[in-house]
Amino acid sequence: MEMKLEMDGTVAIVIASGSIDALTAPELANFINLQIQDGHTRLVADLAGVDYTSSAGLRVLLGAVKETRSKGGDLRLANIQPDVKKVLDLSGFTSILKHFPDRAAAIASYNG
Amino acid sequence: MSADTRKKVSIVIGSGGIKCAAAIGLVKVLEEADIPIDLVVGCSGGSMYAGLIAAGKSAEEMQERTIFLWTTEVMKDYTSNLKATQDGSLRFNERSGLVDDSVMNTRLEETFGQIFFENLKRPLLLVATDLMTGERVVLNKGSLFPAVRASLAIPIIMPPWEVDGALLVDGAAVDPLPVDVAIQEGADVIIAMGFMLSNRGRMRSMTAVQQQLNNIYMNNILRATYAFYNLAHHAEIFPILPDFEEPLGMFDTDKLPDIIARGEAAARAELPHIQRLLAA
Amino acid sequence: MPSQKKVALVIGSGSVKCAAALGLKQALDRAGIPINMLVGCSGGSLYAALMALNVPTEEIAAMSARLWTRALTARANRRALWQALFPKLAKFDSSFSLRDDKAINRQLQAVYGGKRFEDASIPLYITATDFMTGELVTLSRGDLLPAIRASLAIPLIFPAVQHEGRTLVDGYLSDPLPVSVAIREGADIIIAIGFQADTQSHLSSLMRYTFQFTSVVSNNLLKSNYAFTSLAHHSEVLLMVPEFEQRVRLFDTDKIPYVIQVGEREMGKQLPYLQQLLSN
Repeated sequence: MEMKLEMDGTVAIVIASGSIDALTAPELANFINLQIQDGHTRLVADLAGVDYTSSAGLRVLLGAVKETRSKGGDLRLANIQPDVKKVLDLSGFTSILKHFPDRAAAIASYNG
Repeated sequence: MSADTRKKVSIVIGSGGIKCAAAIGLVKVLEEADIPIDLVVGCSGGSMYAGLIAAGKSAEEMQERTIFLWTTEVMKDYTSNLKATQDGSLRFNERSGLVDDSVMNTRLEETFGQIFFENLKRPLLLVATDLMTGERVVLNKGSLFPAVRASLAIPIIMPPWEVDGALLVDGAAVDPLPVDVAIQEGADVIIAMGFMLSNRGRMRSMTAVQQQLNNIYMNNILRATYAFYNLAHHAEIFPILPDFEEPLGMFDTDKLPDIIARGEAAARAELPHIQRLLAA
Repeated sequence: MPSQKKVALVIGSGSVKCAAALGLKQALDRAGIPINMLVGCSGGSLYAALMALNVPTEEIAAMSARLWTRALTARANRRALWQALFPKLAKFDSSFSLRDDKAINRQLQAVYGGKRFEDASIPLYITATDFMTGELVTLSRGDLLPAIRASLAIPLIFPAVQHEGRTLVDGYLSDPLPVSVAIREGADIIIAIGFQADTQSHLSSLMRYTFQFTSVVSNNLLKSNYAFTSLAHHSEVLLMVPEFEQRVRLFDTDKIPYVIQVGEREMGKQLPYLQQLLSN
């Protein structure tokens, strides 16, 4: 899994690619936690390059979501691929996370 | 790796009528990849296949049993009974169903009556719903026949089945994909084959509307229970949801090869991830 | 200093029992705890909307008795009988209903007519179910009337609502207590009041059997959705599922004062903990 950070105003965009599973999710959670420690709590995860999410991976990701929220921020998703969307729907994640068709819409949601 | 440190693998076959035959494809993929199955859990239509898999039946035997069990004869007197309840000549109570279940019972008895939970090749647990309380009931003792019969008793259509004084119906009403049973039994890796029911585009009769309502409930219970199990489990759950483009009829046994192929394809897509985890 | 934490109140489906939310609100009012977000499903949407519009609680209680009258559902839709019996002749479609909805529309119009979500002083979300896909739909913009009407559209009893290109029915089909909406919309402390449907131990007709089955699945849906949201939320969810010693049926409007009392009692039990949470 690869991760990259971009900023748009106060919104931090985490661009991830590869699989989010039991083996890679701790890295992603760490990466997100570092951003939170840097004071960024308004996050967007751009999942255009993520082709697989596993159950253990999702649990770790949820830990990061809870962390941003308890600090008054949020983690919002953009560009979810169809196979990943299927798993996120089944696991209830799309019912508790805000998700958008593209990155611009996700960023704009913080300014509304 | 020694046997006692090896991760315990469970398969769970959820509710889904004839689509559950896709489990035949799943088992084929797992056996080819030498992935051991330590525990089998089933619900509703999935109970039939869970039972056959736990008993170590071959793919051919499972196909043959499918054709034997899923025939229109098991719906004996459905239409006439439905009319009779509408005009009031047939009284309905908690033990009733709209079909005469004698044919179904004979066939299920012949298939499962002489197989016992206690001497299966792999441990098996089946799920049903208590009609009066709505609670989950896990069956794992004695002959497989009453357990399978109770687990797939579609309410209103089939009469409930009494086990230990409780009237049991289809497990789908409480737990259509019972991953929780595998968690309870201490499974590490859980391979869960589930089925979303197809929505109906246009509804042209009251029965169609009722079926749609039923499908909405079952799909939402499946999603809600899975969402919880996904967060509650300590290790990995691999959901396998075969794609079916068009809705299948209850007795479309002529589509059996296609159903099995879709199960196989869905399992194959998940296989590398399962293998990666088992090797770690 | 007022708490920084965002407090949401989620009122689940439960027809007349939803009035318990008023007692809960009274207890919060007295303790000086403001609500920052409201979510309502089915009967709960009636109350959530009025609270969001800042209507005083005593006034809502007085309106309650006027909203839940037999006039709401008493008029049978004559065409519906023909549709049910001869679907081909009478053009059966998904807008089918057994009751004429003129009375309910008139009553809802009198209370909510001309009001918009944008008029609410507290952000308001109303949930319904997409009848074609079974998915939960959150409504939060535009006129309140179609949203509330959709949220209340019990399938087969009331016609579905066509809204922004979708066919919407009662929110309880997808989630009887939509805590997930409050989580997604950024609530911290979530107060959720939900209601279990009654189950019987003897079912004397097909209709009672069908009601029982609906109660069983919707109670299970409530349970499993809650299991998930309670694990998924970053902060606290205070769940209340009041027990009613007296039986409260659909048109028991004379029981409304009792129902309100029960809600107040339930909130009272959790109030010290809620105050602690808010002062942290």
